[in-house]
Amino acid sequence: MINLTIDGRAIQAEPGKTILEVARENGIFIPYLCYHPALKPIGSCRICVVEVKPGPPRPLPACATYVAEGQEVVTASPRLTAIRQELMKLVLINHALECPICDKGGECELQELTHALGVPEVDLTAIPATSPPDYESLLVERHTDRCVTCGRCVRLCRDHVGAMAINFMQRGYFTELGSGLLPLDCEFCGSCIDICPVGALINKQFKYRARAWEVTKTEMVCPFCGGGCTYELHLKDGEIMRVYNGETALLCGRGRFGWPVLSSPERLRTPLVRVNGELKEATWEEALTAAAGGLKAVLEEAGPGALYGVGSPRATNEANYLFQKFFRAGLGTNNLDNPARLHYVKALSALGQVFGWPEVKEADGPHPKPPAYTSPFTVKEDTKGSGFTFVLGFLEELPRADAALILGADLTPELPPLGWGVNAARQKDDFKLVVANPRGTKFDRWATVSLRYKPGAERLVVAGLMKALLTAKPDLAPAVPAQGFEEFKESLKKFSLKEYASRAGVEVADLEAAAAILAQAQAPAILFGTELLSQDKGDMNALALADLFLLVGKPGTPGSALYPVADKANTRGVCELGVLPDRLPGLLPLDSPAAPAFWGDKKVAQQPGPTLLEVLDLLEQDAPEAPRALWALGGDLLRWLPNRSRTEKLLGKVKFMVVQDAFRTDTAKLADVVLPVAIHAEQEGSFISSTGRLGVLKAALTADGVLPDWQIICRLASALGVPMSYRNPAQIFAEFARQIPLYAGLAPKKAVGKTGIPAELKGTFVPFDLDISLPGRRPFTLIIGKVLQHSGSYTTHEPCGTLVVTPEGAVSLNPEDAAQLELKAGDKARVISSHGEVEAKVALDPLLPAGVAFLPEHFAQPAAQMLTLNSNLVRVSIQKA
Amino acid sequence: MILPLIKGLATTLRYCFSKPITLQYPEEKRTPYPRFRGHPELVINEDGTRRCVACTLCMVVCPSNAIRGIVPAEGPQHEKYPVQFTIDLTRCIFCGFCQEACPKAAIKLNNLYELAQYNKEVLILDIERATQKKPEMRAPDWL
Repeated sequence: MINLTIDGRAIQAEPGKTILEVARENGIFIPYLCYHPALKPIGSCRICVVEVKPGPPRPLPACATYVAEGQEVVTASPRLTAIRQELMKLVLINHALECPICDKGGECELQELTHALGVPEVDLTAIPATSPPDYESLLVERHTDRCVTCGRCVRLCRDHVGAMAINFMQRGYFTELGSGLLPLDCEFCGSCIDICPVGALINKQFKYRARAWEVTKTEMVCPFCGGGCTYELHLKDGEIMRVYNGETALLCGRGRFGWPVLSSPERLRTPLVRVNGELKEATWEEALTAAAGGLKAVLEEAGPGALYGVGSPRATNEANYLFQKFFRAGLGTNNLDNPARLHYVKALSALGQVFGWPEVKEADGPHPKPPAYTSPFTVKEDTKGSGFTFVLGFLEELPRADAALILGADLTPELPPLGWGVNAARQKDDFKLVVANPRGTKFDRWATVSLRYKPGAERLVVAGLMKALLTAKPDLAPAVPAQGFEEFKESLKKFSLKEYASRAGVEVADLEAAAAILAQAQAPAILFGTELLSQDKGDMNALALADLFLLVGKPGTPGSALYPVADKANTRGVCELGVLPDRLPGLLPLDSPAAPAFWGDKKVAQQPGPTLLEVLDLLEQDAPEAPRALWALGGDLLRWLPNRSRTEKLLGKVKFMVVQDAFRTDTAKLADVVLPVAIHAEQEGSFISSTGRLGVLKAALTADGVLPDWQIICRLASALGVPMSYRNPAQIFAEFARQIPLYAGLAPKKAVGKTGIPAELKGTFVPFDLDISLPGRRPFTLIIGKVLQHSGSYTTHEPCGTLVVTPEGAVSLNPEDAAQLELKAGDKARVISSHGEVEAKVALDPLLPAGVAFLPEHFAQPAAQMLTLNSNLVRVSIQKA
Repeated sequence: MILPLIKGLATTLRYCFSKPITLQYPEEKRTPYPRFRGHPELVINEDGTRRCVACTLCMVVCPSNAIRGIVPAEGPQHEKYPVQFTIDLTRCIFCGFCQEACPKAAIKLNNLYELAQYNKEVLILDIERATQKKPEMRAPDWL
């Protein structure tokens, strides 16, 4: 610690902090304009100047001067005030006096600073700098005449978002912020809006709708992806005005601009019941009676095993917990699963094989009456954790990684916060990045090594990396005790490094360079996404990466972790809360000694239920154990399961189907009863983000005719003879948190596995399959994946803000391929696979290699899953429509 | 003894022939002083458009919540203007803070003082009724 005095006050500070940071921590006011806590200081506005002794005779900028032992800092003196006032006059010399109509009026840092510094009047004149406002850009409006050229947006966009869409233009007095005299062509995340101290960048959705002081603020977790960002929802008269993040300013486009979808005319507001083959609007009583009646009839006829449940990554932890409780405690079956089976669950099972399933022993508690959404367990000295949860990464620690491997993920579209994390990490000079993807991605620009492999060859890349690692460093040993290393090494000998490289379509030298980076790294992070997990052998891909992490990872070092993408708001939560056929809440096995505690006397069925994919097989075989009724807690099965026509045919065999969803999805159209649910801020509840963070939703909006999932489950379960009654979601959270020591120390904004539980890790190397053949002979390999502006299917409904950026799904082609097919951007093309065909507009993407096409999965049309068989990769032919 | 009486009668007599002080209200109306504070109204430009930009500062400053319901809209030239604006004269205390707060000189207190009504509804002015009929700015000496 360093001792210094600020304005005569003795203060202790951590070394490496700046005077401004220390002053802010201690509540000492130093005015500033270009500084922002989330950004690196540049010291350009000089408003934060302070007198420092010992030091040079002139004042120094507090934001860029580090604290030192024995420093005496003076933050206010007549000389400093004079300097600051003069600087403010220079800033204000040309500032457009539009405060009455400027949306920033009332929360403008320039306004506040002018008042705080007591700038009397600007007695300077200058040539008026005239550059017209930019009204053309989508979602963001730019008023250059209000800009104070602090460069916050430039730094944020360049260093954290990585879009580099705005920069300084011109020089000196005429400096202005711009994007090359063109409208913005960027990621449309809108983070620049929240970081702007003035109204130079404003949110078109918020423009003129409310003044800053009129809004009521609710802090909640963003439900638009598994990133778990928290933001402020600003409401006026019960209506959302905007989404705002003042702390780090970082949000993605769908989080910031996606909320209008809540008031979409396409949303379901009343329950629907099938009468004479048609879905008719009904009251809640009628619909619940019909649902209970239908389910009861099936249960009585064919026993409790006849009902299958599909949980939802859209629903809260509380709803999913109640859902599985109904099946386990009520019906005594394990017949339930969730749509993450297609990707995230594969990662979990692979991690479970390599690092073991998570377990926490000797947690202190449960304590009575913990605060809402807080675990009743606390961590004590002899608390011990084990299992894969402790090798999963924590978003806040990602910037501390010194090397990262991004494999099979276009990171920003898959999970924007992970992209920001990598961007933050690359601010360190010694950071090395390896990007491996069949397509070109944003991160290739900063990659030390870029591996462009053939679609589906992830395992060969990983095996090649390990082979190169072990060749270069034969004595390389895992950082944690590991079994099966020798056998595993043998399994890698199947091919030579050259063969691995040629089969994967990469250069041997690149593999060696990437392996060298991973071998030297002190804190390597491995990030991978649903693009690789959604493949037929996604579990093998995950296994390969888990083995790689076991080999090179440094568990326990901050930042060194595995970061699998759990793409939807609660994909991780729905799995951890036990909506799986073979795992209880807390990912406990069915035969866990802790299991009985869940349901009192009721024994947990020891027989795991069929998985979602097995259920389809059972239906296809007309097996006697095939479910007769389906209760889907969301999850548009038709849209997300591969081979849509088969799914549609098989779901038709289900006698009675209850679907809870916010929209009339394709699956809901097949259902017998559709129950509309509350989403976003219409309900309370918690989510677990991809990186384990517990986020809490707040009920800030009135639910117009819809009910939260947990209430529907309670009512329907009670009607089916399994009484359930809870006051609020917090009570449900308290119930399951008492049973899950893994969550010891968990509280809002804290992360599972990062609550200070010391982990005892060990691993087992598990050999993985190396066959990457993709069936079929069609010329193109189509990758079905995610695009930046959409998350799931919610954002594809009007009037979602990001629809103006990406209004429809287009099949992306390499320009040369398109030229050969005589297709231009915007043309209609037919994409044909052996399982179906779709028609889609063509988009040209030079980042795609030849022979590879890309189609987003989000849209109802083109329905990407019409083409697939069992993987998100499929061979297709493409022709002009 | 008689002298004071004569004095008094003389005064009376004098006033009999001077101009009367009493105004024959309501036949005769008093012209208020320039700084008289009547009820607030929205000022219009020469071309008949309102000067108001819906910044809501008058609503914020109003101590008696007489100004409310300002709904802004965006015009074709990206200008901001109100589409709704309510001045509740039953609440107004004629303090003039709104006029003082207005950065666009778009609201001012006029010189109308006949505000008594049988029906309260009449005193709640919507945007049309709150707008002055002809462009007229108050003398700039007000502050």
